[in-house]
Amino acid sequence: MSILVDKHTRVLVHGITGMQASFHTKRMLAAGTNIVAGVSPHFVDGLYLNVPVFDNAKEAVLKTKANASLLFVPAQSVKSAVKEALEAGIKLIVSIAYGVPIFDVMEIHKMIKAYNAVLIGPNTPGIITPFEASLGVFPDNIFQKGHIGIVSRSSTLTYEAVLETTRAGFGQSTVLGIGDDMIPGCRFDQILKLFHQDEKTSTIVLIGDLGGTEEEEAATYYQNLPDKKPLIVYIAGYENSDDDIGYASDILTHGKTTIENKKNLFKKAGAIVIESIDDLSKVLKKI
Amino acid sequence: MNIHEYQAKKLLKNFKINVPKGFIAYTPLEAERAAKRTGDGPWVLKAQIQAGARAKGHFKEKNNKKISGIEIIRDFNEVYKTAEQMLGSVLVTPQTSNQGKLVSKIYVEAFQEVKKAFYLSFVINRIESCVTLLAANITDDIVDLAQKAPDSILRINFDLHRPIKNKDLTTLASFLRLQSNFLPPLKTFVQNLHKAFVHLDATLLEINPVGLTKTGDFVALDAKISFDNNALFRHPDIVSMHDDYEVSENILKAEKCGFKYREFEGGNIGLIVNGEGLALAVQDYLKQMKEKVACTLNIKGGVDEQKIAESLKIMMSNPKVEGIIINILGGFLRCNLVADGIISAMSEIGLNMPLVARFEGTNKQTAKQILEDHHFSVLTADTLQDAAMKLIEAMKESD
Repeated sequence: MSILVDKHTRVLVHGITGMQASFHTKRMLAAGTNIVAGVSPHFVDGLYLNVPVFDNAKEAVLKTKANASLLFVPAQSVKSAVKEALEAGIKLIVSIAYGVPIFDVMEIHKMIKAYNAVLIGPNTPGIITPFEASLGVFPDNIFQKGHIGIVSRSSTLTYEAVLETTRAGFGQSTVLGIGDDMIPGCRFDQILKLFHQDEKTSTIVLIGDLGGTEEEEAATYYQNLPDKKPLIVYIAGYENSDDDIGYASDILTHGKTTIENKKNLFKKAGAIVIESIDDLSKVLKKI
Repeated sequence: MNIHEYQAKKLLKNFKINVPKGFIAYTPLEAERAAKRTGDGPWVLKAQIQAGARAKGHFKEKNNKKISGIEIIRDFNEVYKTAEQMLGSVLVTPQTSNQGKLVSKIYVEAFQEVKKAFYLSFVINRIESCVTLLAANITDDIVDLAQKAPDSILRINFDLHRPIKNKDLTTLASFLRLQSNFLPPLKTFVQNLHKAFVHLDATLLEINPVGLTKTGDFVALDAKISFDNNALFRHPDIVSMHDDYEVSENILKAEKCGFKYREFEGGNIGLIVNGEGLALAVQDYLKQMKEKVACTLNIKGGVDEQKIAESLKIMMSNPKVEGIIINILGGFLRCNLVADGIISAMSEIGLNMPLVARFEGTNKQTAKQILEDHHFSVLTADTLQDAAMKLIEAMKESD
């Protein structure tokens, strides 16, 4: 068990023949991921890295029964790639590129909702169930099989959390970044729920940041859970946000989404809040 | 990306939004000419800097203490004098730093008499993944109001491509205490703003204030627009409006590489990271060691050696920086590229301060090897703590 992806996941890589995509596809294959198809328009040869390549997602799904899409397309093309994947019947989409226009993201969210699908990203390292399925750009030398579920907004802090758990002798069940752009594809409470349903996950690590209310929702969700798994929380964020997004958020939330507020809500809900990411291994050893 | 008020108003005019007649001026003489072109007065002279609360601001120079960044002028002879005082002076407002901003151009506008003024803006609502219209009956500090009296701000959520619903329009009108005969012009005004917001890929479109004229028209008396940087590829015309003088040299250099550079008060350590989260984690750690960060540079997405070299040069050109930590967790970004970039920067400008590099993830061994094969005194570390401790020690030694 794990969440969202495992060794049975049949992965379709969009944009597979691109420079970055081929580099990472090789690594994902080496990590044991079941990559069944690639999409690259006008690619004639049929096979790339020994993976059958198709003109479009619909054809790929029809011929290979792929059930998860990994998008390696540039930010400008993410919207159309998501549409293509959804129309082909895919229900799990991982979008790596950062810098997708905000209005595109809003339209993507509407589509995802309409198709009842799950989106991870954009701006994410992806999702990985170690030694079963790696959908993304994760470094391959930091994971260990185990029982800790990790979910984060920040890509690099995801790696840092993985390193901390591995170093402390614990492994991971599933690790994912929900997306570090302004509006993430999925929400923390959604993932918390999945981790709680997953038998293999015994402890959850959540790394949030300033702005938005995803952390508040997750804290409320956790508080109301009758049967809680241990939850360790780290909230990163600059004290003063200098951009207009922060400005709008301040108005919309009445200036209440401070780091302190988020931390307090998690504490009240019964989670363990750490002040520095390298406290993670210490806390894990205690549990 | 942000633009100036005069540029924003020009854009709004394309969407049939009323703005007062106005012209830009770089010299007092131009200001006089601009005033004449707008009509017989009175006029409003507005310093063009990209910061709010200009009317509450003051100039740093001693002899123009009496004026603010926005002045209403009734006597034509005062236009030249006021423009002369504003231009080339430094304006400090509640929203700028203490250093203020240099005023190099002013906008000269026809003064618009209004019988009512209120606040309107369109913002990105990241919580509900939609566009939200905000309205308030005051024209003062909106963030302050949001904290003290959140109920006095009306919020209406918009679908991205659908016009305002009649029900919402009625709510807005009654909230603004407008009689029903103002509904049609209000609808047009809001509709056009929404159109502009979506069409321009804006993240913020703020009209503070909107004026209602005696003839029953709604006019944008001020305008602030911020754009989604990720969507600028769709708007080359907007990119050309970027005012390079509005940002510091290092921010500008970083932007050219596609990187984000931030400065902080009081620190002496520079951080180069690939991801904001990583910068925050190092900062939290240094805070515990009673050390402070002077600046951070996020090189996320920087996949070529030259850009990495440029980022080091940016760091070293900050006089406050006495030591640098490079913290790379390679996933998408391969560590060896960063190492190559460090070597290339070093061979060009040398190294005059301690530098610790910590690599983890994709191609980390190759990266370490590259640095060790060169004779530059770059220190390497395995963990975040290790990197911080090595740097602090090295900085003490070099004192």
